[in-house]
Amino acid sequence: MNICLEYKKVKRTGFIQLFLCGAILAAVVPVVNMVFRTEMYTSIHNTPVQILLGANWQLMAMFNVLVIVTGTCLLYHIEYDNNSIQKLKSLPITESQVFLGKAALSVIMYMSVLVIEAGAVIFCSCHWFVTGDGFWKELCQNFIYSFIMGLPCIALSLLVSEACKNMWMSFGIGVVCVFTALILPEKPFFLSLFPFAMPFKMLAGTKHVINYIYASAAWIAVTSLAELLLIKIRRSFE
Amino acid sequence: MNFLSLLSVEYKKIKRSKIFLILFAAAFILWIPSIINSDLNFHMETEGISPENNFFIQGFMAMSWFMFPASIVVVTVLLNQTERADNGIIKMLSLPASTVKLSLAKFIVMLSLAAAQILILTGAYYASAAIVSVIQDYNFILPPLFVAKETGIIFLSALPMTAFFWMVSVCIQTPVFSVGTGMASIVPSVLLINTKAWFAYPMSYPLFVVSSEYGKLAANLETAQPELIPWLPVAVVITIICLVISCSCFGWAARR
Repeated sequence: MNICLEYKKVKRTGFIQLFLCGAILAAVVPVVNMVFRTEMYTSIHNTPVQILLGANWQLMAMFNVLVIVTGTCLLYHIEYDNNSIQKLKSLPITESQVFLGKAALSVIMYMSVLVIEAGAVIFCSCHWFVTGDGFWKELCQNFIYSFIMGLPCIALSLLVSEACKNMWMSFGIGVVCVFTALILPEKPFFLSLFPFAMPFKMLAGTKHVINYIYASAAWIAVTSLAELLLIKIRRSFE
Repeated sequence: MNFLSLLSVEYKKIKRSKIFLILFAAAFILWIPSIINSDLNFHMETEGISPENNFFIQGFMAMSWFMFPASIVVVTVLLNQTERADNGIIKMLSLPASTVKLSLAKFIVMLSLAAAQILILTGAYYASAAIVSVIQDYNFILPPLFVAKETGIIFLSALPMTAFFWMVSVCIQTPVFSVGTGMASIVPSVLLINTKAWFAYPMSYPLFVVSSEYGKLAANLETAQPELIPWLPVAVVITIICLVISCSCFGWAARR
């Protein structure tokens, strides 16, 4: 129900198109890379999914994270714009439910982005490589892992945009966080658990896979708690 | 209204915007990993670059690739939202001043914030270089004249990019698209600096300038050097076209 309402709100804001454009741009990356460097990649002895993601995932994840940051900013910007948040608060619905609705919508959009990107990987694999037996399983595992890694980023950037009244402030914080993720060193391990750095992680080549999944769940729990706290604290000041 | 008073009005509008928090945060975050990993600067034998030069150039390279262009996009959001909220743009357009001047005043504000970011970054560089010098017991501080020259070139090379972002934010009314276009245009610059057509893409100028300087400082590294002849005219033409479009389209949605 909430998701339908949220969808109606963002229908004409360009939110859906933003995710789709981001997905298409990210999907173009492996195709273009394969067109220009066919020999370089086809000569590598590895599975197609690992070659393609290894070569392109950093850039694709960059598009994903930027789309998430911009999209979540917009979700709360439309509420703060013209003070519609005050009317929202008078509805028989809690602010946490609104947050949940917006989070669910962002998650669905992120899922669609990953599906489009997976489509590009499938196209490249079938066109330039020979897909073996375990191809589909490996592809699903990789993209499910990327999906799980994206969740903390969505939750946190949505929380930031809920906390900031001005769109440029939430967007600015998001941009600084993305920048932090880009320059963070790989070691020590806890630094790689930064939510904005997690979507850049790939299943192949990652040592502590299960730890990252636990970390993702932990970040979602922490963000949910922080969201409840934020609402309580803000209400006491209004 | 003369141009200077318009400019002072624009500064008043963003006085309490806390934009400097974002600019400071970026500079602070940039140098922390460099300080922590400062010992890596001594292991650059393959590139043949001295530790102090490496410390300087790596920091500025990280900045000019993503954070510097992205913070200019953030500034465009700030400048646009201050007008769009409560229909401020209509009051602004009713002032006895030409829209060209209004648009140019905002563009100058953007430039000054970009310059402020570079100044903050340079200040943070000197602070962190001083800290690393103490930690590693080696002089990491470069002469101010060299640093001023490099940062000045980065700023100048960012002019066409700033004009482009301003044009995008003026022409595209939907905030999400103007921001999205700006952000999406930053990402390919890392690929385009390696092509021959880099000069046609203003977003890649700052990164290209820094990476070519890296090639100059590192003895064993060859990077493409900027050739002024196709670059300078193209950059000037792009800047002028972007400014003309943004000046003539400023407030177009409200004027319809």
